[in-house]
Amino acid sequence: MVGLILLGILVLAILWLVVIYNGLIARRNDVQGSWKQIDVQLNRRHDLIPNLVATVKGAMEFEQDTLDKVISARAKAVGATGPQSKAEAENMLTQALGKLFAVMENYPDLKSNQNVLQLQEELTSTENRIAFARQLYNDLVANYRTALQVFPNNIVSSLFSFKTEEYFEAPVETKAVPAVNLSIRK
Amino acid sequence: MPLTFIDIERQKNWRIALFFVILMVLYLLIVVLFCAALPGPLIMVPQFWTFLITAAFLAAGIHFWFSAANAVDTVVRSLDARPPDKDDEIHRMFVNIIEELHVVSGNKRNIRCAVIPSLSLNALAAADLKGNAVIAITEGLLSRLTRPQVEAVVAHEANHILSGDCLETTVAASIFGAFSSAMEKVRYSSSNRLFGSPAFLLAWVLLQLGYLLNMFISREREYRADAASVRMTRNPLALAETLHFLSRGWRGAGFIGSGFEMLCIVDPVATTLDETEGFIPDLLSTHPPIRKRIDILLRMARVSIAELDSKAEKRSGDKLADSPPNYFAMNPAQKWQGPFTAGELGTLPWLSPLTWVATGSGQNAERAWKDPLINEIFLRRLAGDPRIDSGLICPSCRQPLLSAAYEGTRIFQCSFCAGTLVENGKIPRIIARTGRDRPCTERLNALARSVLRQNQTRNVYRKVSAGNPNPVPLFPCPRCKNPMYRGFYSSAHLIEVDRCGSCGITWFDQDELEMLQCLIENRLLPDIAVAV
Repeated sequence: MVGLILLGILVLAILWLVVIYNGLIARRNDVQGSWKQIDVQLNRRHDLIPNLVATVKGAMEFEQDTLDKVISARAKAVGATGPQSKAEAENMLTQALGKLFAVMENYPDLKSNQNVLQLQEELTSTENRIAFARQLYNDLVANYRTALQVFPNNIVSSLFSFKTEEYFEAPVETKAVPAVNLSIRK
Repeated sequence: MPLTFIDIERQKNWRIALFFVILMVLYLLIVVLFCAALPGPLIMVPQFWTFLITAAFLAAGIHFWFSAANAVDTVVRSLDARPPDKDDEIHRMFVNIIEELHVVSGNKRNIRCAVIPSLSLNALAAADLKGNAVIAITEGLLSRLTRPQVEAVVAHEANHILSGDCLETTVAASIFGAFSSAMEKVRYSSSNRLFGSPAFLLAWVLLQLGYLLNMFISREREYRADAASVRMTRNPLALAETLHFLSRGWRGAGFIGSGFEMLCIVDPVATTLDETEGFIPDLLSTHPPIRKRIDILLRMARVSIAELDSKAEKRSGDKLADSPPNYFAMNPAQKWQGPFTAGELGTLPWLSPLTWVATGSGQNAERAWKDPLINEIFLRRLAGDPRIDSGLICPSCRQPLLSAAYEGTRIFQCSFCAGTLVENGKIPRIIARTGRDRPCTERLNALARSVLRQNQTRNVYRKVSAGNPNPVPLFPCPRCKNPMYRGFYSSAHLIEVDRCGSCGITWFDQDELEMLQCLIENRLLPDIAVAV
């Protein structure tokens, strides 16, 4: 009788283990899938930049420095691997592109050029997609981390040595908190 | 546990089941009402009641399935919404934004997008039981918003779809909205004798029941969708600006049929019920007060209108000490820019006589042509142009009109607002030559069709209500300076024009002359049944 009860408990424990294990695997796959999505969008951006540079080069010959910075930042971003170094390289690229767009404002020819406008829209869209993919990735990482750390999942996760995933950090300059004035007048 | 867009998605099946039960009870009531006239003994037979209940159940089931399963297609068809045009810059931006949306939601739902060919300002989302979902924006709104603002609107609508409350509203709208739109048609097209008939009374009762349905559609969901939109785009100001803009414009009352209003971002018909708070309005209204929504968003952005004002004052105060007056001007994206000196103002490419300009502390905004100093800029832009020989002044911008060739004849054109002034005798000539120099493009045809449809309902409305409640100020005649009469070109061609009775000339706003030509060329006529 006691043996039967023990057997029952053992079966229940194994079932419970399987459920938790499968849940963790599903979450980890979600995280990895959304990382691929960021990759797709980053590649899209890397593909668009040479076009943009080629289109604006003629009109912006005095800004060779800015263009060079974009090109070298792109090269670095293409070569980077792993969330940490990728995030750093991409943030550099974002800054270089931001500078380029700011400088482009001074060239009325460029602003009325249909090709440039179209490329700019594509790049804006890509920037947004990257930001949104990052948002999804970070949400999923947060979910996964919570699932790893809560009791009793932490027993299972350490048993099967699940590794925690890194967040994709936001660019430094967007992190600057806007000046908050708490004395809002009605 | 943080909420992702995936976690938010919850089905509200029990509410939809409730709709089904209500529908069944309605059918049961109808059947019972009609059977009340039957002889007494039949009512006592239990099988008869079983039969009645089964019949009501079947009828409700068929009605439910036909209206709820393909609700998205019904909505799209009845609003004449079209898929976006790939060659159009602004439409492509809209498609891109929808793509971005799929990225942030992890491709969980496939959401279609559509453009409603109407000049009104509104946006709506619909979803149905088959899993289709659509976000539709009117051409008017899409063309007037900046990119971040469209992002905010799309994010708002997407949240309705992802959180599942859109399914609920669409099902409600398509089941019960059919009654109310049928009622509206009856009200417009029938004479009084119909009002006494039993069928009409029954429809009226159903319509009132339909209004009660609003109780199930919570106001809260709009606040939730606003909040989720901010969560996605991180830009509360863009949404606040959009709502503010929407609150001032024509939101499609009369064009977006009643029954669909609960799908829209703002209620097409502005009612006092919507703009008040309290138990009863909370219960019966489908949309919260716009003011409150804007307030909440501004608080998220840590901005108050008073604060914005004081900043603008400080900025202008620094420079005002010994420099000429500073001007602030509203750019085409509806944003205040500045401060500019008069010279800098002259170099702005988007400055037109109709631009809103405020001086100094930014107190009184006026149209640019009203300031004599700024008006000098426009005079100088036109100076030396040999085409100014008309001596006529544009009634809307108050700048000299230029004479121009059009379909082989001479007309007068404003180079700022693109309106045209035509002598009445030349209009038939121009209409007859339609397509000679400039063909009717698809854009013009679509525009003409939607303007026609809008003016048609307004025309009906005017006939019913006898008198225009809020007239727009009339233009002075460019020749004799008397106010011009505003009306439709004719009762068959519902294009709004301004005419001077004594000088025999007609003023067309931008595109209106071309639209009139296309209307006549393609025989786009108003629907007689509705117009009479």
